Amino acid sequence: MDTLLIATFEILSFGAIVVLVVLGLGIIASMMGIFNFAQGEFVLLGAYVTYLVHSVGLPVPLGMLAAPIAVGALGFVLEKLVVRRFYTAPVVAMLGTYALGLIIREAVRGLTGGLYLSVPEPISGSITIGSLHFATWRGVIVIITLLVMAASHALLAYTSFGLRVRASLENPSLARASGISTGMIYSVTFAFGAALAGLAGALIVPVFSLFADLGIRFLIQGFVAVMVGGLGSFAGPVAGASVIGTFSAWLPWLMSPVIADVLVFVLAIIFIKFRPQGLVSGRGVNR
Amino acid sequence: MINASRQLSRRRFLGNFAFASAAIAAGPGSWVIRPDWANAAEGPIRLGIATDLTGSLGFAGNTDANVARMLVKEVNDSGGLLGRPIELLIEDTASDESVAVGNVRKLIQRDKVDLVLGGISSSMRNAIKDVIISRGKTLYIYPEGYEGKECTPYLFCTGPVPAQNCDQFIPWLIKNGGKRFALPGSNYVWPQTINAYARKVIESSGGEVIFEEYYPLDQIDFSSTVSRIISNKVDVVFNAIVPPGVSPFFKQLYQAGFSKNGGRLGCVYYDENFLEMNQAHEIEGLASSLDYYKVLAAEDPVSARIQSAYDKQFPAKFRFSAGSAATGTYRGLKLWEAAVKEAGTIDRDAVAAALDHAKIAEGPGGPAEMAPGKRHCRMNMYIGVAKGGQYEIVARSAGLVDPKEC
Amino acid sequence: MSSTGTGIQPPPRVIEAARSPVMASAFAGRKKVLPILELALLIAAAIAPLVLRDYITVYATRVLILCLFALSFDLVWGYAGILSLGQSLFFGMAGYGVALLSRDFGLGSIFAVLPAGTLIGFVAALLLAGFLLLGRHPSSVVFVSLGTMTGAYAADRLARGSHYLGGQNGIPSIQPMTIGSHELSEGPSFYYLVLAILVLIYLLSRFLLRSQFGLALAGLRENEQRIAFFGYKVQHLKAIIFAISGAIAGTAGSLYAFHEGFVWTNMLGVVMSTQVVLYVLFGGSGTLIGAVIGTAIVEGLSFWLSDNYRDIWPIILGVLLLLVILFRPLGLISLVLGERERVGSFGPSLKEKRNAAP
Repeated sequence: MDTLLIATFEILSFGAIVVLVVLGLGIIASMMGIFNFAQGEFVLLGAYVTYLVHSVGLPVPLGMLAAPIAVGALGFVLEKLVVRRFYTAPVVAMLGTYALGLIIREAVRGLTGGLYLSVPEPISGSITIGSLHFATWRGVIVIITLLVMAASHALLAYTSFGLRVRASLENPSLARASGISTGMIYSVTFAFGAALAGLAGALIVPVFSLFADLGIRFLIQGFVAVMVGGLGSFAGPVAGASVIGTFSAWLPWLMSPVIADVLVFVLAIIFIKFRPQGLVSGRGVNR
Repeated sequence: MINASRQLSRRRFLGNFAFASAAIAAGPGSWVIRPDWANAAEGPIRLGIATDLTGSLGFAGNTDANVARMLVKEVNDSGGLLGRPIELLIEDTASDESVAVGNVRKLIQRDKVDLVLGGISSSMRNAIKDVIISRGKTLYIYPEGYEGKECTPYLFCTGPVPAQNCDQFIPWLIKNGGKRFALPGSNYVWPQTINAYARKVIESSGGEVIFEEYYPLDQIDFSSTVSRIISNKVDVVFNAIVPPGVSPFFKQLYQAGFSKNGGRLGCVYYDENFLEMNQAHEIEGLASSLDYYKVLAAEDPVSARIQSAYDKQFPAKFRFSAGSAATGTYRGLKLWEAAVKEAGTIDRDAVAAALDHAKIAEGPGGPAEMAPGKRHCRMNMYIGVAKGGQYEIVARSAGLVDPKEC
Repeated sequence: MSSTGTGIQPPPRVIEAARSPVMASAFAGRKKVLPILELALLIAAAIAPLVLRDYITVYATRVLILCLFALSFDLVWGYAGILSLGQSLFFGMAGYGVALLSRDFGLGSIFAVLPAGTLIGFVAALLLAGFLLLGRHPSSVVFVSLGTMTGAYAADRLARGSHYLGGQNGIPSIQPMTIGSHELSEGPSFYYLVLAILVLIYLLSRFLLRSQFGLALAGLRENEQRIAFFGYKVQHLKAIIFAISGAIAGTAGSLYAFHEGFVWTNMLGVVMSTQVVLYVLFGGSGTLIGAVIGTAIVEGLSFWLSDNYRDIWPIILGVLLLLVILFRPLGLISLVLGERERVGSFGPSLKEKRNAAP
């Protein structure tokens, strides 16, 4: 029973991390129809900004606040300069964002000197209930993820800005004709997706260390999660990320981790094959 | 109109292409450090260093290149080798095997070096050894600690191997930790081989292996492993997980209360570079088994001299430490220098024969000598325990430890 | 851009311009650039070993093998519109296959290993195509690319974990390939062998693509639904071209294994797959020669950059790639070739049509 509780907590917290990373990816994919191959590197940037703030002596929570803002701003700029040229050719978008990701990754590698760097947790220690230890910081990650998700959903569902975003998502030409500035909406959405990734990076850097190849791991996991979850809605990427994150954390308890690692992806592909629209099918971006 | 502009751009394109191919054909210079003086009759001795200057192992590769620079300058300043200066050529293997092969070919075929020293990971060594030894007919010295079992002729290894890491270490762990061992490792050859050797020593020293498990290199969640360790009351975790997984693993182990309840962490490769990866309290009491620690400078004047000479010449970013093969590089080059002096020539077979039994009296951590016929190196081994983010030496080998390879 | 729909998204093409009468007259009577380009490159490649230094010839051989690999990708992407992000799966499987043949059975004869590698690539591609492409619902482009990428990723991880396959270290020290009793080591002889194979496969592909099959493929790339309505079995067409490209990737993989003398997990993985996509994107897809040029330029650039800008060359490469993607999405070949030559013409030429019209 003890093991079950600990396992559930660990699996939940890992799933939360994957959700944060994938949420941004899913929103960008649903909205603009492109897969952002640089999303992993946005996570890396969020982690790096947090480390930078820490290394000049400022408190870590400040870094965690600065990271999504900085990465979001960068995402905004990149969208305006580079990404918006790719909307007509999603395949070229994948490769263009891959090139962007390569540049960011190598730049960070140069800046960190190729080393693995550590950042302390803002709230360390563990909560002890009976004989079980639950790492406090991982619990905080779960709480923050839930809050962010709730806030995003509220933003989309209950504000006029969210209304405009949803309109652009469902019918871009009609939205433009109605006077909604879709260009600005896209920029803000991309920035939002980037900011989410930056936040994820900031939150997880105390758990794993900072190193240049941090983002690569999330790339494939992210894509599979988005496809499993389904495009065109908010709940889709969340569902997909939860499923993938949970399975990735849960299977190693049952079998050799090497096999578990591959099995998750293989199962996901088989699932998508037989249910191409994913778990949650939304109206998506149909042009 | 359109025709004209297309023709113009086509001409420009072909022109640029021709220029680029000419540049490639001419072969622009790579990183060459020429000596200040020359031996007009025979020319310089060419030393090739092929190591990871960029990529994930860049922190180690740059250190090795720096050690080579330092030693070559020392040799050149004191009259060279056999009256000839040493010319140092450095190529980047970029932590990428396909790039590495191309760059090492440059060293062999274009620069015609007399020795290649380098490679950090085992897969890199495997990638470049053929180019150097069979196709290039050149000597190869591999400086990094690894899993052993490399018995290729003309390939000399100067880093520690499992026997040296484990023979003294495991009994110490049993005495200072307990009898119940867990062997978690990353899923590739080095952890698997060292665990196989460690298991033998554990069992013959009266210990017990509770479980042995392997993980993908980029796994970052170790909750199931930590849970097994705690619930099975493991005394010693003999860790063979490598970065990036090792840092979250140690953190999660600490959070579950492993060291608080008296558990001992053992990790053979953990040098000063790795100490930064976790917070000091998370790895308090961690024991490692290496051929050199920086704190040795306090008790061994030779090590102190080497360490301070290095620190003076090179910036703090790339530290002289055992895990980055810096000590293996130093040893390898010094042993080679001794072998060339003994052979009196730079000819491959003569040098190899002399290198087979070469000895040096002064090296980082103490003297070193090649085990004859084995192409592996005997060296002093030490056990260091992490206290407050620094290492403290708790045990020293009673002499040079035998590698027991080949 | 529906990702679940049946439409495919080929790279942007400006086809309409060629159809208007004003433009047509401007194009009429234009010399064909493509054959000239191909001939020029062939001559340059043939005399290269004679002027280049030894170690560069060896490097060039490796580049030629990668050109073959890129060719296989151009076949599926440029002509059939399948974005296969897992070409390295076939490349690597063939490489490992022949390495195992050499290690465990001592087979080194070219007459055994090349066909073996080609066959491995062919069968693997056929199986993967069967799973990804066939079925009740036609698969979306994104699903196929993700599926192929996952295939490569899974193979990479599994190989890393396998002791038999050498794990992360790979299989080193592969014995040289033999032709009869003559050992083929790296240098001009290997270069000419690879060049001959490349030219052969290039011509075969050209022949295939100018045939009825190629016509159907072109239709497939332009508008899949329309071709389906004409009665062509779209999924079968895709599977066939996919299997052929897998076979070619397999040939390249076996050559690579013997030339480098060592195989390792990166040959199977996602990074290698993406690399070949970038080669073809750089050079220009849909022309076969574009794949060759793109590979040569990117590899040459990497070689030169790593020498001169040691610390920051990956960043420079990334920036260059980004610039090409942004400003020349059709690849560098678009600087030289006109649109009609890229798409490929079938049927009577414009001149004949003009003469035939009353």
